[in-house]
Amino acid sequence: MSSTTAAAEKLLLQMVDDYTAREIAPQDMPMDADGDFPAGFIQKLTDTGFLGLMLPQEFGGAGFGPEVTATALNHIARGNASTAVTLEGHFKTIDQILKFGTPALQQQLLPSANDRIFAFSMTEASGGSNPMGISSTATREGDHWVITGDKIMITNGGLAQVYCVLVKTAPKELSVFAVDQDMPGFSFGKREDFIGLRGTPVGEIVMDHIIVDDDHLLGKLGDGGMIGDSAHDDARILMGAVLTGIMEHDLKIATDYAKERKAGDKPLTELQVTHRKVADIAMRKETTKLLYQRAAQLKATGQPYSEEAAMAKAHGSRSAVSAGDDTLQILAGYGYSREYPVEHLIRDARAMEIAEGTVEKMRSAIANAEFSK
Amino acid sequence: MKIVVCIKQVPETNDVTIDPVTHNLDRRGLAGVMNPFDKNAVEQALQLKDADSDAEVVLLSMGPDDYAESLREGMAMGADAGVLLSDRAFAGADTLATGYVIAQAIKQIGDVDLVLFGRQAVDADTGQVGPIVAEFLHQPQITYAASLRLSGTNEVTAERLLEDTKQTLVATLPAVVSVRSELNTPRYPAPRNIQLSFAKPLTVWHHDDLDLDDSRLGQAGSPTIVTKVYAPEPVKRELTPLTGTPTEAASQLITALKTRQLI
Repeated sequence: MSSTTAAAEKLLLQMVDDYTAREIAPQDMPMDADGDFPAGFIQKLTDTGFLGLMLPQEFGGAGFGPEVTATALNHIARGNASTAVTLEGHFKTIDQILKFGTPALQQQLLPSANDRIFAFSMTEASGGSNPMGISSTATREGDHWVITGDKIMITNGGLAQVYCVLVKTAPKELSVFAVDQDMPGFSFGKREDFIGLRGTPVGEIVMDHIIVDDDHLLGKLGDGGMIGDSAHDDARILMGAVLTGIMEHDLKIATDYAKERKAGDKPLTELQVTHRKVADIAMRKETTKLLYQRAAQLKATGQPYSEEAAMAKAHGSRSAVSAGDDTLQILAGYGYSREYPVEHLIRDARAMEIAEGTVEKMRSAIANAEFSK
Repeated sequence: MKIVVCIKQVPETNDVTIDPVTHNLDRRGLAGVMNPFDKNAVEQALQLKDADSDAEVVLLSMGPDDYAESLREGMAMGADAGVLLSDRAFAGADTLATGYVIAQAIKQIGDVDLVLFGRQAVDADTGQVGPIVAEFLHQPQITYAASLRLSGTNEVTAERLLEDTKQTLVATLPAVVSVRSELNTPRYPAPRNIQLSFAKPLTVWHHDDLDLDDSRLGQAGSPTIVTKVYAPEPVKRELTPLTGTPTEAASQLITALKTRQLI
């Protein structure tokens, strides 16, 4: 890494920490209670340039690499995980347009990714982890495609303005197209009322005969499954980062409390039962951090990173739920109270045992990768 | 219009120690950040630049090489260039010796219309360097400005908030102004601007790059002598309770004050 790159990354993380402390963390509890981002919150994030953090400079972005992008989301999640997950959904979509979009599509869409949120959409009512079960289609008519179908449980659904959607272009052929909310036939459906990551909107889009040209196809016809896997891989690195941030938040709450609280006449910091829990939280946090950083490093250096990304998310999500549980136990009644953030950190972490592929699916992917060696 | 904003890098932590020999702050090994009050001065300069696309904002700092980080942060906020004054000969300077070198550097930058300072640095808390620079430059100065605007063709108007009054001052440019934190909310450096800031010029001037009188430099050029730095011990005083009705208590108080010849 050049000294200029290192200096720029240091300055970026300094700004991220400052912004998180002043603008994001104070909204953590209200966001969970209200189930939405506060008014003006996303606009300020946009105006400050966060949406273009990893977008190449040729498209008006900052062009930061995969490692520091993941670290930035880690730091943001220390203050609030929903904000980091919304950026994760945006960044993974940009990544797929960069990898698979035609130059014309990139020129058309990517400059606007500095100001508009993007989303990647696979799940339908008929299935999430089974993409062949989807029923949305893109049908060839003349020199264009007609897209029809419903997509649900989209991270940033309703907030995002550009969507990459997985559809069938033949009975056993999956492909991905980019659609824009301004296109005729596009509308928003129901917003989910999830128990965690409650700031991040998760919702439905309805596509009723949206017409797009060939340039809106990502990759080739039939590349849909591969592009979906790629989107998952990129998302899972960033989720590992978000989960690390959640555990750092847990650890701070647990250690701050233990330093002040006494059980009988003994400070909690002198009790072995506290030691064990705090050590476990710290070890879970650190192993997740190493896993996501390793996956990000592989991605940055052009090496395969699918297995490591799956490990970061699978290990990180269960670890973060357990870390939250241990933190809650240290705080006891206060931990169980909605007045304190611990209980929502557990709910936030729990989402990531499901989103971007269940932990069960992660384990199969990791095992199959090992079998193939 | 050319605006120079003088900034200082300060320790990130409040946990600073005192050098047992010099009795000055020991900043060695401490991570640094831009003095928070200086960000208000940078923001003010950038707002003037936002209103006048021909305006040029140059940041100026004095210190070791790593002070370049704060200059770079200010350039990422939007300043056009940075100048770092760095030389062993400048080390150990008090506010007078610091102000002298900075004033000489401003003269060397040339054609500067407005020099801005934050109200004070959070490490030493003197607030003296801005006024000293103004004296060396023989320019009008306005300190602790809570609002600032360019007025007329060649003036700056600033409002000062004093303890019990407001004061509006007009100075002819070139002038030196130090600003209060109430003036504005500093912008965050956008990620893209952080990257682009590394293409902006950051110049390091050493001793030989400036026209300097060596007798005014560093510790030798610093009349300030710190003999001791200490936290005063709390003084325990004898308490005499006042009793009875308010009238009786008042009478006791007057007697006690007269006894001590305080009234």
